[in-house]
Amino acid sequence: MLLTTLPRRLASSLTSVALTLLGLVVLTFVIGRVVPIDPVLAIVGDKASKEVYDRVFVELGRDQPVYVQFFTYLWKLLHGDFGQSFITSRPVLIDLLDFFPATLELATFGLLIGVVTGIPAGVIAAYYHGKWPDHLIRVFALIGYSVPVFWLGLVGLFVLYFKLDWVSGPGQLDIFFQGVVPRHTGSILIDSAIAGDWDVFSNAMSHMILPASLLGYYSLAYIGRMTRSFMLDQLNREYVLTARLKGATEFEVVARHALRNAAIPLVTIVALSYGSLLEGSVLVETIFSWPGIGNYLASSLFRADMNAVLGGTFVVGAMFVFLNMLSDVLYNLLDPRMDGGRS
Amino acid sequence: MKLLKLMMALMLCLGLDVLAASAKTPANTLVVADAIDDVISLDPGEVSEVGGVLTSNQIYQPLVSFDVNDPTKIVGVLAESWSISADGKIFTFKMNPKAKFASGNPVTARDAEYSLRRVVLMKSRSAFIITQFGFTPENVKDRIKAADDQTLVIEIGDRYAPSFLFYCLSSYVGGIVDSKLVSEHEVKGDFGNAWLKSEHSAGSGPFELVKWEPKKSILLKRNENFWGTRPGVERIFIQHVAESATQRLLLEKGDIDVANKLGSDDFDAIKDNAGVKVITSQSGTIYYMGLNVRNPYLAKPKVVEALKYLVDYQGIAATISRGAMKVHQTLVPDGFLGALDYTPYKLDVEKAKALLKEAGVTSGFSLDTVVWNSPPYTDWAQAIQATMAEAGIKLNLQVVDGQQWLDRYRSHKLDIWLGLWGPDYPDPHSNAKAFAVNKQDAPDGSESLADRFGWNAGELSKQAMAAVREQDTLKRKAMYQDLQKTHTDTSPFIYMFQEVRRVGVNSKVKGVVLGLTFSDDRYWSASKD
Repeated sequence: MLLTTLPRRLASSLTSVALTLLGLVVLTFVIGRVVPIDPVLAIVGDKASKEVYDRVFVELGRDQPVYVQFFTYLWKLLHGDFGQSFITSRPVLIDLLDFFPATLELATFGLLIGVVTGIPAGVIAAYYHGKWPDHLIRVFALIGYSVPVFWLGLVGLFVLYFKLDWVSGPGQLDIFFQGVVPRHTGSILIDSAIAGDWDVFSNAMSHMILPASLLGYYSLAYIGRMTRSFMLDQLNREYVLTARLKGATEFEVVARHALRNAAIPLVTIVALSYGSLLEGSVLVETIFSWPGIGNYLASSLFRADMNAVLGGTFVVGAMFVFLNMLSDVLYNLLDPRMDGGRS
Repeated sequence: MKLLKLMMALMLCLGLDVLAASAKTPANTLVVADAIDDVISLDPGEVSEVGGVLTSNQIYQPLVSFDVNDPTKIVGVLAESWSISADGKIFTFKMNPKAKFASGNPVTARDAEYSLRRVVLMKSRSAFIITQFGFTPENVKDRIKAADDQTLVIEIGDRYAPSFLFYCLSSYVGGIVDSKLVSEHEVKGDFGNAWLKSEHSAGSGPFELVKWEPKKSILLKRNENFWGTRPGVERIFIQHVAESATQRLLLEKGDIDVANKLGSDDFDAIKDNAGVKVITSQSGTIYYMGLNVRNPYLAKPKVVEALKYLVDYQGIAATISRGAMKVHQTLVPDGFLGALDYTPYKLDVEKAKALLKEAGVTSGFSLDTVVWNSPPYTDWAQAIQATMAEAGIKLNLQVVDGQQWLDRYRSHKLDIWLGLWGPDYPDPHSNAKAFAVNKQDAPDGSESLADRFGWNAGELSKQAMAAVREQDTLKRKAMYQDLQKTHTDTSPFIYMFQEVRRVGVNSKVKGVVLGLTFSDDRYWSASKD
């Protein structure tokens, strides 16, 4: 039954994905047109002559009606052509492939920290509901939620890098190690592991630990909070009482029964966390001079590099949609109530 | 249970601190931190951004340059001598026979001809520096010509002060490229622009390009064929670090050698650190407020004058900018020919009120003021807003990003614009043309700042054009001095500050020379202990 409904669900999911992406393209395109920024001026600068300005105006196709510009853009997009970035003079797709691995590395590492610490923290807080471990964890999560990442990042750098020398500073690698290992995936950790260069690997790790922990702390705050509330919900159910009466140990009650059921909605939470980390945290990337997608998008926006902004937004949006879809599918697979009506 | 054990192990791993070796920069490499995410091109024919100009200045050389300590002294670089015709229109340059490119090719007049022509023919965004001498794609073949391998003849369209042409040739678009190499890589008549833009260099300067990773870093290596004094470092690595506080930590830690983007707070923080020094230079950049005289209030000269007494120049320089700015109230920057120490304005609310009364303004009024959302503008704007309010003038601060900030003043949709002007070459005309010459008097007919703010400079516009045509340097100097006073007194520009360029440098680094115009810093004599 599950197997017969899954293709149908997938098909409807894919349709809604396609529509969502189309909406995203329309929205970003419109925003790109209404923001009071002149991309031509951004390219030619303030001192160029009118003749130069007009030449670039035509080169960018700005002389065409807006709907023509939109359909031209859409047509290219369907062929995988995001256009060129005027700053890097490269196709936007190449740029994205260049900048995305750095964010992917950081986000994955950050999410790992968030999951590995957030879920146990949430479970503990729920189990000791209203007692001191619960309060302690909630305060810790609240700080993670409310302290500006900018400030925390600088304090982290100042203490751990500058004063204590425990971690490396901003950037992905020390200058000595730049360009030492050949680029295969764009992820320095993976590339250095492939090359078997463990000096580069550990240097990259020591650069990454602080920004990743920072992102991890933020996702810990979110995942921990949600885990706590899902667990509270489960721990108050009758089956928990039944299990206890049957003589199950507390560990079995929490881990085998309650956490198992809470894990289902948690999948969505983790996927959403990952999505927001993959956007690239502009502030974290700025402070740590991390050449990721967040930095790329922000600097493109400030310079009115519209192809880069539209392309980057589309890719980030598409990732979100994909993760959402994935979590839907997993949810359906994991939740016994979602198997087409059979129990 | 297994899962729990695994989770515990992972938590332990992540909790462990990774010990980092305390890195220092390599002895043979000068590591520079700067904001380079806006660099579009490294082709000297079209460079424009600070990071791009900084880089191309290490790679390419001009025909002539100037002494940084005395910019009135013109020195030969690729040209060893020059002569000027009696009518002041024909300049004949003799090339330096010793000069050669990184490729080993000799630098000839043919290369200079090719390089200067391509700027005009490419119609690049930086071409205005060269085209203001009357060069067009149609006439440039006749007006910029190599008579033979050693002789370049430039014929300008009008009679100008010779130094004006020399300064323009010394600027970033005056960089000479290896014509043999570049012309081999021309695609669809692009003069090798695609080839030179981001991946290759073809200069005669002390360094050559190894790799530019857009928005990340630029790596240069020593030109082993360099015909001048061998540079002190083997490599220059310019790293994109946007944040001032981050640059400061890296500099103090010894992970970078030069920090180009430190803010006042970070300069305060490093002043007691013996491992770091601060080098300063005179920057040509001027900060001013442009008043749009299309506004009926600002159309009254007395109101404009009143506003000049409502800025606490000294206070802002001392408390907000703390050493990054000095008060400067004329259009020619200090250090340029004709510069003048003339600062008639200070905060005087009573005087301003009296002037407003004279202008017939009896009640308060509001002015839309466009401000860039980055320091120091925002802090200044708030300080100015407070002092203006004392005389009943309400500034509506409209804080916008850099692109909008430019858009707004180009479209004149504002009353006041808080901004800056960085001269492209160290000649007073760079500023005089911008602030005083109306488009009807400009040879290239371009719109100046005066036009942008709706101001007819009248006689001053003609005086500025006469000054740039004056052949006698002493007379020319006097003309600028004369012009500046009147301009400061009567124009709708409130000149406030001139930037004091400050750069944080590791104490082990010697010989970094800061330029005069924006990003004209010179790294070829830099070395490390």
